[in-house]
Amino acid sequence: MTSITLSTIHRADGSATFTGNGYAVIATVNGPIDVQRRDELPEEAAIDVTVRPAGGVGGVRERHLESIVQKTLRHVVLVSAHPRTLIQVTLQIVASQEDHLNYGSLPQTSPYIPILPALLQASILALLSASIPLLMTLTSTLIAVKESGGLAPCPSAQDLRAATSIHALAFSSYGDLLVVESEGHFTSEKWEEVCTRAWSICHGEEEEESGSDDVSMGSQGGARLENVLRDAVRQKVVNEDKWKQSPLITAT
Amino acid sequence: MAIKPTPPQSSTSPHPLTFPAHTFAKLAPKTYLNTHLNSAHGPVRPSGRSPTQTRTPTCHTGSLTHAHGSAVVRCGDTAVVCGVRGEILGAEDVPDYKAKTAEEIEEDDEHEMKYADTWERKLRKQKESSEEMARLGLLVPNLELATGCSPTHLPGGPPSTLAQTLSQRILTLLHTSNLLDMKDLRIWSRWPRSGSSSGSHVEEISQQDEPAQDSVKAFWVLYIDILFISLDGNPFDAAWLAVLDALKNTRLPSAWWDRDREMVLCSDVPREAQQLTVYGMPVPLSFGVFESDEEARGKRWVLADMDGFEEGLCRETVTVVVGEGEKVVRIEKEGGVGVGGKDVRGLVELAGQRRTEWLEVSGKEAS
Repeated sequence: MTSITLSTIHRADGSATFTGNGYAVIATVNGPIDVQRRDELPEEAAIDVTVRPAGGVGGVRERHLESIVQKTLRHVVLVSAHPRTLIQVTLQIVASQEDHLNYGSLPQTSPYIPILPALLQASILALLSASIPLLMTLTSTLIAVKESGGLAPCPSAQDLRAATSIHALAFSSYGDLLVVESEGHFTSEKWEEVCTRAWSICHGEEEEESGSDDVSMGSQGGARLENVLRDAVRQKVVNEDKWKQSPLITAT
Repeated sequence: MAIKPTPPQSSTSPHPLTFPAHTFAKLAPKTYLNTHLNSAHGPVRPSGRSPTQTRTPTCHTGSLTHAHGSAVVRCGDTAVVCGVRGEILGAEDVPDYKAKTAEEIEEDDEHEMKYADTWERKLRKQKESSEEMARLGLLVPNLELATGCSPTHLPGGPPSTLAQTLSQRILTLLHTSNLLDMKDLRIWSRWPRSGSSSGSHVEEISQQDEPAQDSVKAFWVLYIDILFISLDGNPFDAAWLAVLDALKNTRLPSAWWDRDREMVLCSDVPREAQQLTVYGMPVPLSFGVFESDEEARGKRWVLADMDGFEEGLCRETVTVVVGEGEKVVRIEKEGGVGVGGKDVRGLVELAGQRRTEWLEVSGKEAS
């Protein structure tokens, strides 16, 4: 369901394409590069995030998404390793479910939460591809709470419209909660349930002990997100190291 | 206070490394805050508040005479003015607008009455209302930080990232919290008023025999302008409280579509003006997480309702919005790992207390 391609754009220092749940995002990373005097930080690298929508030019909504991604990456990237430089992250949305959400002519009124996990995943993959030193990696997922109270991980556009609340959560590779964007109407108990569920989607080491309706959804989700990410990177490394296994080299 | 200026021992050799407290705060802000929070008498912030103590908000409504509703909200040194002005949007100007007849809307309302027994159904109904508002773009918040409110926001420039982010957050919260009712914003066609202004509209409607021909001819668009007079931390909470109070204060004049003149007319009788229905009264509370040492994962403090000084030192922020019946309307958290899944419940409780406090303040102003 999710597909990851690393280093899709060869001119950039690092790039990645993340496709999943009806969203596709291409991320490129350039850095560490020279920084404008105005944006320079004396003790750490400045991170600049640009989000470009699938159609048209970005507006207020994109600025807000940029600021969420920027604040997250500032914590994830080892910024102190490259003081007085710039790490530039560009995120191009290629496909999004919003076209089916029918929110009319005003893009800023359509919910921005559903696209956030794809943006975060794509940016972290591009950072890995650019070999930027990181403190941690992250995995992010989207969960909708249905009217019946059940949870719908990876919700479709219809699920999102019918949901009483939607939640985007991101966890660091240590399992800590990194980003939360939740909207709708819900109780703290429900939110905790969502959080546990999101954690088990992102980090599958522990077997979840929750209710009966979750079991079928869990099996549908398949591999844990963290493993999906790890496999994608491993595959890339294996492919790049193939020349070492070449019989010509081993012979000499 | 942990740091105090020490008097010089003698006039000839003053101690070279002694500063007054405010100089120390400027030179080493992190150490300054850390020393306060680690003080022997329990953690206390430079402002004298405890970590979870908020600044008591004050509000004043109806001070702008040219707006349909307005409010000034002040939390500590953060002061915000919000004005709401209604403008008329003709239904024929909306592309692809499919007009609902009065019967259909009435049917919907009846349906709602019949099934409004459960919370979920009520929510669905309100959600449809908000979706229509979003589709038509009837709520237009605009936030202005470049008013000389703080030295970091220079007047005259384009809207800063912070201003854009805040206005997007307010727009989203206006729609997702189902704050307003679509029925307040519809303008109907009616028969021309009979000469004297003594008869009320209710009678006029009952006089006409063709209710089936009634249809929505125009909408009220609410322009919500938010101006920061002064900014000392926590802009979102103050801005939202101002929006909330201004909307509660808004009185739209009674308007109708005149069939003879084919235009929307407004009544100039003040007592005919309609107050907006504001549902739920969701109240936000923002927190910052201060880490004494980021690399070593040192001690963390969650500070409620940060001021400007603290905001510069906290990278991780959490905002919790609590509405009616202890329901959470929104949670936003970004920038760090200080607040985990288990801490959120405590923050929701604090936000609930903040809501009670605000309702008291706002109720006092209204009465």
